[in-house]
Amino acid sequence: MTAGAVVSPAADATARARWRALALTDPIARLVRNAAHAGVADEAFDLRQLALAAVDLVVGSMGFAREATIEEVADDLTGLAARMCPELAGQARDVAQLVLKGLLNEAHEHRRFTYWFADLSGADVVREPYSFRLLALREAEYGPVLTASDQAITLFLHGLDVDIEDADRALAHVLQRQLDDRRFDAAARTAAQAERTSVGIAATLAELLDATRRDVGSHDWLVDVPDRLAVARRHVEERIAEDDRFLEHVQGGLDTETSADVRITSGRIVDLLQRVRQVHLDLGRRLVGAREVFLSAQVRQRLARRRRLRMLALGEEVLRPVLELPREQAERVGTAFADRALGVSVPRLVRFDDLVDQLWAPPRQRETVEPVPEDAGLEEVEEEDVQRYPAAVVEAARGVLAPARATPTRLSELLTNCGSDEVAELVLLTALWAFAPDPAADAEESDSSVELAAGLVARDDGAVLDHRLARGRDLFVGPDRAVGEVEPEVGSRVEVTVDG
Amino acid sequence: MVEHVAADLTQVRAAAELVAFGLERRSRPVEGSEYRALLDRYRTELRFRDVVDTMAEGLGLEVLGTPRSGIVLAPEPGGPFATRLADLRTMDQGERLVFGLVLIGIAAYAYPQDVDFDDPETKLVDVVKIDEFLRSAIDTLKGQEGGEGSPEERARAAAEAYADMPQLITTQTGRRGRGCTLKAIEDALGWLVDQGAAREAGTLGPDVYHLTDRFRLLVGDSAGGAALDALRALRSQGTEAA
Repeated sequence: MTAGAVVSPAADATARARWRALALTDPIARLVRNAAHAGVADEAFDLRQLALAAVDLVVGSMGFAREATIEEVADDLTGLAARMCPELAGQARDVAQLVLKGLLNEAHEHRRFTYWFADLSGADVVREPYSFRLLALREAEYGPVLTASDQAITLFLHGLDVDIEDADRALAHVLQRQLDDRRFDAAARTAAQAERTSVGIAATLAELLDATRRDVGSHDWLVDVPDRLAVARRHVEERIAEDDRFLEHVQGGLDTETSADVRITSGRIVDLLQRVRQVHLDLGRRLVGAREVFLSAQVRQRLARRRRLRMLALGEEVLRPVLELPREQAERVGTAFADRALGVSVPRLVRFDDLVDQLWAPPRQRETVEPVPEDAGLEEVEEEDVQRYPAAVVEAARGVLAPARATPTRLSELLTNCGSDEVAELVLLTALWAFAPDPAADAEESDSSVELAAGLVARDDGAVLDHRLARGRDLFVGPDRAVGEVEPEVGSRVEVTVDG
Repeated sequence: MVEHVAADLTQVRAAAELVAFGLERRSRPVEGSEYRALLDRYRTELRFRDVVDTMAEGLGLEVLGTPRSGIVLAPEPGGPFATRLADLRTMDQGERLVFGLVLIGIAAYAYPQDVDFDDPETKLVDVVKIDEFLRSAIDTLKGQEGGEGSPEERARAAAEAYADMPQLITTQTGRRGRGCTLKAIEDALGWLVDQGAAREAGTLGPDVYHLTDRFRLLVGDSAGGAALDALRALRSQGTEAA
């Protein structure tokens, strides 16, 4: 039995291979460090790029009848280095040689680079060496030529050629790892995140196409957009293949899985992956049609038959200059635009009482705190609403007002008929209501006077009221039709003084 | 040589009716309606068209066009039917500036090129998208400007007034409060709805509006030119001063 997993079974399975790839890049890091000691500044010359170029140059000539000699490669690298830092061009040859020496491991007499891997899979640590070359010199009929090792070719030409900013791909790798390690809950979360990323990409593309549809000049379709579309298309093609593989993987697992928990989680992952795949398929379809959107937008916007020559590109000719103007001037232009853009208004004469009502009306949008519903306690249910008049008072007031419904009656007369102050107060309010109904009053604010005033109209003929509860005009209260002919005077006032 | 022919009184009446339909915001020239008949007559009968145009002119109006949705009239500024931004709400200079920018922004978003004014397709606008459009226009401006003008001058630019405003302030009830750009756009679109220049597209979302033919023609044939004239006037003032 081994000492158990180092990290996780899936991680361990590929750990050695990944470690080797990592070790392969170390000579480059080392030559950059050494260059600093040799007086070559990392900021001035991009040594990593020169190292990559060296491998590329060597590989480029391999297999041809005439392979690249060390001088030829050094010349090419010198040219590149001189371009990187023209002011230090004199140093360029030294730099090129430094890079080649580093790649050839000259510090250790052109021997292989050797690194030690600590193998933890057994009970004891086993240190195993890993040796490789990057570039090597070989004798040819026309002198020493450079060759690149298999490792160098595999890693530097292909292995490093990945879009490491591709979030979608990164998530796919994480997901793969989690599935391999059977960490299904984590895998479900990753799948959900992968879905969000894909939706994000789809949204960006949709935005681009919308903007193009709206204004074909909004994006650069000559260089920028085709590049972006190409990247997106490649991405989608890869993802669709990957999605299928994942689905198969998880579904295959489902068929053999017995644990209920894992089955449920796997089911969820399958759902998520199917959605992700759908997003990718949609994205693919949209990408296929993208060019078409551009072309039709161009036909519609650029090549359309002009019905009327306006020469007006609002965005460029109006919006932009206005945004740049000082505020006062921009306001003038904006107002000139707005006054015309708003079109016609038909003037309406204002009726005085409408205006008064509007001025008195509460603001249309009242910003009040949301009412918190209260629990009505059981004992409170039977209680009367303290905001309203008791039913007995309302009934008494109705009785007092009854004669007024038949013939117009003076308010003072009605008041003397009232049994109590409360009834008198309600009668008074009703008379006021009948005199000047408030159209703005909400249902919630109404008291009983609103209902009582229905069908009643009050008229002011100038008589003076002098009652214990109220002073002002002695109104004529009567049925709607009998008193209605006379327009009420706006200036009339009845003051109410209610004690307590 | 102008031919002087007295207009038939019935024709004058019909012309007045058509202008009245144009002034009303609610009436629509549905198939078989009086309005539709008058509109068709305007489109086909040159003589009638002259009478309508002349009558409109006398009333301080200009006939901008007759799209399917009805006759579009533009008021002469200062005329009896003119609408002024200031009539819609009492506002200070800063608010007027923002509403002016918002209205230009809505128009520039919907009709970026002159051909868009000939395109009868209804434009959909969205409160949030308009704001994003304006803000990105301001950002591009900042990115391009670089060293132009002193920092103080740039700080006084209209773009800054908009950029300074928050996108969203919410009230206690969760609505958009005054003083944020989304509210300004919502209000401006609300006015356009009142003026028959936009319609709410509730089925497509709470913040989505259709811009009508009326708005398209008003912007293309009246407001856009007015804004260009105002800009030109400012520029010539600037060169005179310098």
